[in-house]
Parts: sequence; C-alpha cells; structure tokens
Amino acid sequence: MLSLVNGPQTNGNGRGFWLAFLAVLTMALIYPVFADSYDVGNFSYFLIWIFMALGLSLIWGYGGMLTFGQTFFFGIAGYGYGVLAIIMGGGTATIAALILSVFVAAFAAAVLGYFMIWGRISGMFFGIVTLAATLSLAFFLGQTAGPEWHIGGARLNGFNGMKGMDPLTVGEVYIEGTILYYVLIALILVTYLGLRMLVNSRIGNVIVAIREDPQRAEMLGYDVRKYQLLTFCIGSGLAGLSGALYTSWGQFITPSSIGLPAAAMPIIWVAFSGRSDLTATLVGSFLLLFGFQTITIYSQQAALVLMGALLLATVMMMPQGFIVGIAQAVGRRWQQLSGRKRSGNGSLQSGES
Amino acid sequence: MLSELFSLFYQFADVFAFLVLASAGLAIVFGMMGVINMAHGEFIMCGAYVTVGLVNLGVPLPVAQIVAAITAGLIGILIEILVVRRFYKRPLDSLLATWGLSLIVTQGMLIVVGSSIRGIGTPEGSFAVGDYTFSTYRMILFACALAVLVGIYVLFMRTRFGIIARATMQNAGMAQALGARTGRIYAVSFGIGAGLAGLCGALYAPTMTLIPTMGATFIVESFVTVVVGGANVLLGTAPAAMLLALVRMSLNASYGQIIGQIGMLFAVIAIIRILPEGFSSILARRGR
Amino acid sequence: MPLIDIKGVSKRFGGLTAVSGVDLSIDEGEIHCLIGPNGAGKSTLFKLIVGVYQPTVGSILFSNTDITGERSYARVQRGMSIKMQAPSVFKELPVRQNLDVALQQKQSGNDLTVERERLLQLLDLADDADKPAGALAHGQQQWLEIGMALALRPRLLLLDEPTAGMSPEETHRTGELIKSLNRDGMTVIVVEHDMAFVRQIAQRVTVLHLGRIFADGTLEHVVNDPRVAEIYLGKAHHG
Repeated sequence: MLSLVNGPQTNGNGRGFWLAFLAVLTMALIYPVFADSYDVGNFSYFLIWIFMALGLSLIWGYGGMLTFGQTFFFGIAGYGYGVLAIIMGGGTATIAALILSVFVAAFAAAVLGYFMIWGRISGMFFGIVTLAATLSLAFFLGQTAGPEWHIGGARLNGFNGMKGMDPLTVGEVYIEGTILYYVLIALILVTYLGLRMLVNSRIGNVIVAIREDPQRAEMLGYDVRKYQLLTFCIGSGLAGLSGALYTSWGQFITPSSIGLPAAAMPIIWVAFSGRSDLTATLVGSFLLLFGFQTITIYSQQAALVLMGALLLATVMMMPQGFIVGIAQAVGRRWQQLSGRKRSGNGSLQSGES
Repeated sequence: MLSELFSLFYQFADVFAFLVLASAGLAIVFGMMGVINMAHGEFIMCGAYVTVGLVNLGVPLPVAQIVAAITAGLIGILIEILVVRRFYKRPLDSLLATWGLSLIVTQGMLIVVGSSIRGIGTPEGSFAVGDYTFSTYRMILFACALAVLVGIYVLFMRTRFGIIARATMQNAGMAQALGARTGRIYAVSFGIGAGLAGLCGALYAPTMTLIPTMGATFIVESFVTVVVGGANVLLGTAPAAMLLALVRMSLNASYGQIIGQIGMLFAVIAIIRILPEGFSSILARRGR
Repeated sequence: MPLIDIKGVSKRFGGLTAVSGVDLSIDEGEIHCLIGPNGAGKSTLFKLIVGVYQPTVGSILFSNTDITGERSYARVQRGMSIKMQAPSVFKELPVRQNLDVALQQKQSGNDLTVERERLLQLLDLADDADKPAGALAHGQQQWLEIGMALALRPRLLLLDEPTAGMSPEETHRTGELIKSLNRDGMTVIVVEHDMAFVRQIAQRVTVLHLGRIFADGTLEHVVNDPRVAEIYLGKAHHG
C-alpha cells in the first residue's frame, strides 16, 4: 500500500528524491526555532493555499477537467466554517466545524459535478460553467449586507465579510502561531503523500486513462462519469479545506476571496508549476505565493499584473509548466551525466517495476 | 391590464437586451474559432471607458459609442495577431492566455486610471403606458440588441465575407484550399467579436459606474448565454437569451434580483444536463 | 446457444440509414467474420453491439439478457471487449500502464504483474514497455490494443480491422492468436478486408451491403454466391 507513493504518475521516485524530500521536511520542521513568530505566521498563510493547488492539480492535471471553480468550494467551506463555528460555539466544536465544512464543499462539488459530468460538459465549457458558478456565489455574498441575511447568529455581512468565529481550538488551546504551522505541515504531508498514493493506485490509473481517452477507458469497462465525479469531489474538497483553514486563520472571510481576481490564482499557481505533477505544484505554488506576498506589500495591483503576465508567459513559452519543464531539463542532463559514468544505465525513474 | 402586460414585456426586453449585447461578441468568437475569450469583459470595459472619455470631451453620445465600438474592434484585431492566433490548435490554452491578458488589463487599468472616473448619467427621456412610466434608453438598448442579432444574420448569411467565414467555420482546411485567407478571416472575426463587446460597454456606459473591473458584471451572463446557445451563433444565441431572460424576469419579479441571478444559474445547469450541446444543436438537427 | 443476438436492428443518422433491419445471432465459441465494401455498416454494427450508439429500432441480447439500453462500460463488464478501427491507446501513458488499466479489471497484485509480462512477451512489446504508447509504430499500437482487449478476458471479442498496418507475417500471427483464443473458448467477431486473413480464421462469414445482411454462411458458400462476387469479391478480384 505504502509503496504506491512511488509510481508512473509522479515525478521523483528515486532515493535521491526522497532524501531531498526529507531534507526539506526537516528544514520546515526546525524553521520555527530560528524564525520569529511573524514570519512563522506568514509561512502558515502560504501553506493554507497549498491544498487548493494540489486539488486543482488532481482535477486538471491528472483528471483532465479544467475547473475554474476552486474558489467556489474554498468559499463554501470558508463561509461554512464560519457559520458552523458560530452556531456550534467555539472550543473543540471548531474541529467538527472544519470537518463538516469540508464535507459541505465536497457535497456541493458532487451536485455541481453531477450536472456537468452527466450533462457531458467538458473542455472549455467545464471551465466557464464552474467560473460562472463561482462568480455568481461571489456576487450573491456581496449582496448580503442586510441584517436579514444570517444563518443562526452568523451574519453574512455582504462585501465586508463574515467575522466573529473562533479559530480552530482544542479544549482551551487556540490552534494559532507555531501550533498552526505544525498542524499545517502535518496536513500537507498527509495530503501530499495521500494524493501520491491515490494517483499511483488503480483508481489513479483509471483517472489518467480517462484524461487520455475517455471513450477507450469506457471500453475497458469503467464508468467514466463516476471516476470523474470522484476526482472532482476530492480536488474540490481540498479547496474547501483551504477555505476553512483560511477562515480559521484570519477569523474572517469576504466575497473577494471567491470572485475575480481570486478565482484566477489557483489556475496560475498550478499552470505555472506544472499541473501534471503534484510535487511541482507543491513547490511552484509555494514559491508563487511567497513572491506574490512580497510584491503585494508594495502594490497589490502590480502583483496581480505580474501574475497575469506569468500565466500568459506560461502558455506561450512552456505550456506544461515551468517547474515541470525545468525539472525535466535537469533530469535529462542528470541522466546524460550519470549515463556517462555508469555507461548508459542511469534511469532517474527507478521506481515501478 | 395593457400597462401591466407592457411592464412585463419591458422587464423581459431589459434582460434580453443585456444578455444579447453581453454575449454576441463572445458567441461569434467561440462559433468561428472555438475560442472562449476570457478577456471579453475587458473589451466591454474598453468600450465603456472610450465612450465616457469622449463624451466628457464634448463628443455627442451616439458618435462616442460608435467610435468606442470601433476602437475595441481594432484592439481586438491587434490582440488576435499578437496572442490569440497562436492558440487555435490549443483551445484550452487560449482560455488561460486570454485570462492572463484580462488580469493584466484590469489591474493595469486600476494602477493607471484609478478605481473610478466621472460617469455621464443615463440619457433622460421616458414614456408612459397607462399608469407606469418607462425609460426610453432601455428601449433603445432593446432595439440595439435586435439590430445586433439582425446584423449578425445579415453579415453571415448575406455577405461575401459571411459565406467565406461560414465555410471556414465548417472546414478551415478546405476553405483554405479553395483560396480563403483563413488567417485574415479569423482576425476580422475576432475584431467583430471585440467590437460587439465594445458596443455593449458603450451602450451600458451611461447606465453604470465605471470601474476597471466592470467586465466581471457582464461576464457571467455572457458565459451562460453562450453555454446554453451552443456553438452556432446564428441559431443559438437568440433563443438562449430569450429563454434565460424569461427565467430571469419571472424570478426577478417575484423574488428580486439576487434570486433572479442565482435562479438563472440553476436554470443553466439544469439545461446543460438536458441539452449538452446547447440550443443550436437541436435547431441544427431540425434543419437537416 | 447464441451469445449475441441482434434482432431487427436499424440505425439512422439524420437521413442516412447506416444499418437497416439486421438480424444476426452468433453462437458461443464461433469465429465470425463481417465483410463488405466500405460504408456497408460494419463498424456501425460493432458500435451498436458495444453500446457506442443506441439502435433507432431493434434490440440486442447478450447471453439471453437484453442489453439494448445499457451503456458501454456495463456491456464490457458483462464480458465484451472491443478493439476499435482507429487505434486508440492512452498515448501519453507507458505501454505497461496501458495494459495495467485493462488488466486491473480482472487481476491484482502478483497475478497482474505475471499476466502483464506474459502479454508483453506475447505482443512482442517487452522492449518498449516503458515507452509512451503514442511513440509506438502503428502496427505495434494495434498489437497493444488487441492486448488491452484480451486483458479483460472477454467472452466475446470484437476486432475491427485488427490487421490494418501489419505486415503479412504479423497478420498471419494475429490469425493464429485468434484461433488459439477461440480454442480456449472465446467467441470472436472480426471486421476485415483482407480476404486471405478471413480465409485463415473464419468459420462463418456475414456479408453486409448498404446496411443490410446480403449473404451469410461458410466462406465457401459466400464466395460461390455470384451476387457477392458482384458487389464485393468481384471488385476485390479486379483490384
């Protein structure tokens, strides 16, 4: 079972890769010892979005469905966490609020996905229908300023957004600061390894086969629609996890984290990184979030112009993504070098078989 | 009685005009090249800004609107040559490329012109039917929407350009072999699409606040109309807009704008479940 | 007992009738060839059997169960398997994984690995197992597709022009493979143009012409039918 972390669907299966992986993980684990709490908090903020990026890589890169709806599910779970945390009260119930809100997002994905996938919506239309749903949700939430828009004690509050929910709490302990950082590292570790196992499993085999040729996959006896729906729900649920964590982190959420330009961000992270690989998505998204945050301090608009330019540059120059492209180039070079040393027997991908 | 009926028609006409004007340009680009232009909203924004800028300089409104539409069209041709034409074989990438463009333009505009400029106000003038009064400008918008539909029909069915364009739409390779300059046809078609988007912005400029992100106000409606209409602009757009306008109008009237918008989206999702290829597919089948 | 029973099936596309009133039943354990000129409706009939198309009228029974409204994947799960006319392998995936997607329907773990390696040997693809399937030559892609169809261990194997793009020697090997599968109990229906190949494998032949069954019987019977020679074999002899 555990051996599935390696396989044909993931780049980086050799010893060298896992040693590097362990080194990065170790650095991440000891980082709070050396950094001040402000930087740790900032780091946590970047990590929150990683789930949404990994989910998009699964749906788009592996499943071949171009969804523009990641912030739709981010918003549903983000608002869902807020509403549930307020209704159920603070304390340990916030953990239940987190889990429930992610399920609500996944359920919403199941409903929307059912109509689209069973309606044979694919390709570009999949993108624009999900985006239409996303923008409509943002518009709707923007118009809920009046006091009549509330769920229990939770006011939706229009453009100003919802606030007043507790952050994630266990007993008396708020999950904030360094604790939140470690929780996020653990969640990302589990998600990343879990997704690697998923895409290298028999289900993963079918998911990528459907991306390549849905009709052929159906002719091998697979109900293509069910696999697509499953992929869509898992990936969208991960966007939901980002949303719930985001609300808990800042104790507020506004419609602007759903609508434009927010909806474009996950697309840019994943397209730039290389949608077809989870590791590239993880690394690239983190780098972009870091860079974006650094520039945003000076001018948010400038940062967004840059993100737009990056997306344009990616599709024009390296459609498979920059991180994947660079990794492939490095891999080829490495193969040449080690090939010379070991006389032509140096495959990077020694996994499988 | 008559005035109530007219009031219903007026509300329908208002939504219908919005859907047709917002989506016509997008539909033409999609129908001809199979590309969804994610920067469609920015061409609308461009039309609106040029109109308001010219009116503030003293140009009469109708002239400003026409100039604005042409400006957007010319910029469209430029964008087609510089960016879009590389992506006809990769339609999904064209979506991303134009989305990148859209981000650059909206955020760039926010830096350059700031968040809002002085508006020009809706042209006055109203008329009464029974006890109700109605805005004349809204009726002009409805007339413009009809004119756009008729114009598209005439352009594609009755002109030489239209015949070549339709041949290209059917089979680009064959049209090229027969001497059609498909590259130029695509550029002109994209320009027409952008021009119609600019026209939409120009026509609605007097009725709304201008901000660089205003394209987003139109884009949902234009997307859903194209999705419901399907690939054939000539057959799909008008009935799609009519159906959606009916749904929207009845929901608006009973439950208000918010439910109207959400309800329309639900209608769209239900329609694609039943008619995956949109209206043009059944109409095209009927025609065969 | 018929394994597949096609009853009064017609398929119209708009004004075009591709298949018209076809009755055909094929017994378990047969090797059955469908022949006929281009446009005779052979591939359409295949797609009707496997559920890519729904018949306009008529019904299709598989092992005495009416499967007319069923989707393709359900029919495949019942024990059909098809190699379509145009090779459609998963181009970006390695050859090995192409086979795995099919094999994992019936096997797992070590059994799957053993069976996969056996198939790779059988299909002569062992040296190319790590290549993306799209990088294979056309004939090799055909082999891979046949392998994927076999990996499902079907009761009924449908092959649409399996030897297109193969050398005479490869064609002969394909024929022997089909015969050996048939000896193990598999029912096979083949659409084919290559008459030498049909002669090699066929037990019964059905000639389709303009969407209808034109003649049916042993190859000798069909070949000696002067009407058949006129529409099909005649042309083949001259060509």
